[in-house]
Amino acid sequence: MIEISNLKKVYKNGFQALSGIDLTLRDRVTSIIGRNGAGKTTLVRILSTQLSPTSGRAMINGLDVMDDADRIRKFIVSIPQEASPVGIMTPAEMIKLYLVGRGLSLHDADTELRKAMEELDIMSFRNTPTDLLSGGTKRKVFVAMAIASNADLIFLDEPTTGLDPISRMEVWSAIRKIEGDIVLTTHYMEEARELSDMVVLVEAGKVLEKGTVDELMKRFRGKIRVEGPNLMEPDLKIGSTSIKYVNMESAQKYVEAGNMVRQVSLDDLFILHGVEIEP
Amino acid sequence: MVWKLNLRFVFTFAWFYGFRTISRGPSYLIANISTPLTLLFLVFMLSHGELVKYAIAGGFLTVIASVALQSSGDAAFMRIQLRIQELFVATSVSSSDYMVGLTMSELVFSSPGIILYAALGIIFHVFTPVGVLVIIATMILLLVATSGLSFIISSSIAHVRNIWGIAGILSIVMTIIPPTFYPYTYLPGWLQYVLSLSPVTPAAILVQGYLGLSPVQPVMWLILLLDVFAYFTVAKVVTKWREN
Repeated sequence: MIEISNLKKVYKNGFQALSGIDLTLRDRVTSIIGRNGAGKTTLVRILSTQLSPTSGRAMINGLDVMDDADRIRKFIVSIPQEASPVGIMTPAEMIKLYLVGRGLSLHDADTELRKAMEELDIMSFRNTPTDLLSGGTKRKVFVAMAIASNADLIFLDEPTTGLDPISRMEVWSAIRKIEGDIVLTTHYMEEARELSDMVVLVEAGKVLEKGTVDELMKRFRGKIRVEGPNLMEPDLKIGSTSIKYVNMESAQKYVEAGNMVRQVSLDDLFILHGVEIEP
Repeated sequence: MVWKLNLRFVFTFAWFYGFRTISRGPSYLIANISTPLTLLFLVFMLSHGELVKYAIAGGFLTVIASVALQSSGDAAFMRIQLRIQELFVATSVSSSDYMVGLTMSELVFSSPGIILYAALGIIFHVFTPVGVLVIIATMILLLVATSGLSFIISSSIAHVRNIWGIAGILSIVMTIIPPTFYPYTYLPGWLQYVLSLSPVTPAAILVQGYLGLSPVQPVMWLILLLDVFAYFTVAKVVTKWREN
């Protein structure tokens, strides 16, 4: 279980990345979603003992991330955003080095990496230098590290950023094979929906909302999003676009009036808070 | 500090990163030994063979120091671009394990150059029993000092685009200006101490002394040890492990 209270982070350049986060996470897969600069990576880096907070407290399974970092590091794995394997090393060598760093013997590391690579179906790349692998396979190498570690808690920072749709789905499939609890960050709403039991929306270093996808989407049940420049009594306005959530039955009327109608998605949670979503 | 090292990690790192680079990227190896070999040739020609023993003795040190200094590029690249250092921060690996692991891989990587210079040393009758022991000792100390220096440089650079240029400049300045390819007695006494900011200088003075090429200056042991302590300690402090 992760308990965070009033966690703040101000970087040396004065940028406030976290503005007092209070949060309790106890689900198997939690997605922290938000746009770039929202504070997702900062939060995960503090939780995974890579970065010190400015103030506040974060506990993992009752251990403080600042005072008990050495004990926490024994049962977590943290895969940084856009991490890439060393090109001259093979996937097997990368995973083995990582496992040995976690304290496994060479023999145990070999056994675990073999199992993980077979599970992710990347055994055929075992001895291929990683600079010859596709982006998706490189990400799978890191997921294999997480699987082979048998860690209780895995942090994945934007695991599919920059991948094409097929590679992304392959990585999702790989992530589903991880047995420990997972905290992942993403700005892909679809990814959060696909993988998570719990979703936390973050913006400007604060938690906007938290809940299961169903709980968060409950308010939109039976509704559709209408966008247009001249909507009457819009629910909100972003730039020159007015937005209104209406019952599906009345959608036709708005289409005929020249407005655009869209299916409601997790994006709308951000839109409702007045946050513009990147394409 | 040594007894706390995760030696299994250190040697695995050295094997995978050092040895695999030799076997999979031999061009790096040739690039690494081409500068000292070219200088050796130049010294041989210009001095009509008279200073060749100095250049061979200095070549050992140049190979070690230039590999270690250029590793600042590797360290920065792995920290900023590949995010590998961050990956290891969230494990039981300590900053010392990581630094020594990278240093050992540089030693493995420089081993073919060392073997080549050893062969040249035998051909040109450079070695004495004490001289060999001094060469080994100074090379180890030099490796630690220059690796520390390399981590200091890599930690202070924010953008990977700058690191290769800086590493290249430092590697040349810190290995060729010191008396590696000429007798240290050519330098005024005060300049020997100024140049000792580069650990290559005391190492070269010691090696020349104990090989019987120039007078022995035992005080240079102290200076070399000070360099080792200073650069390794500062590197431990400034290496960005858990960031603030």
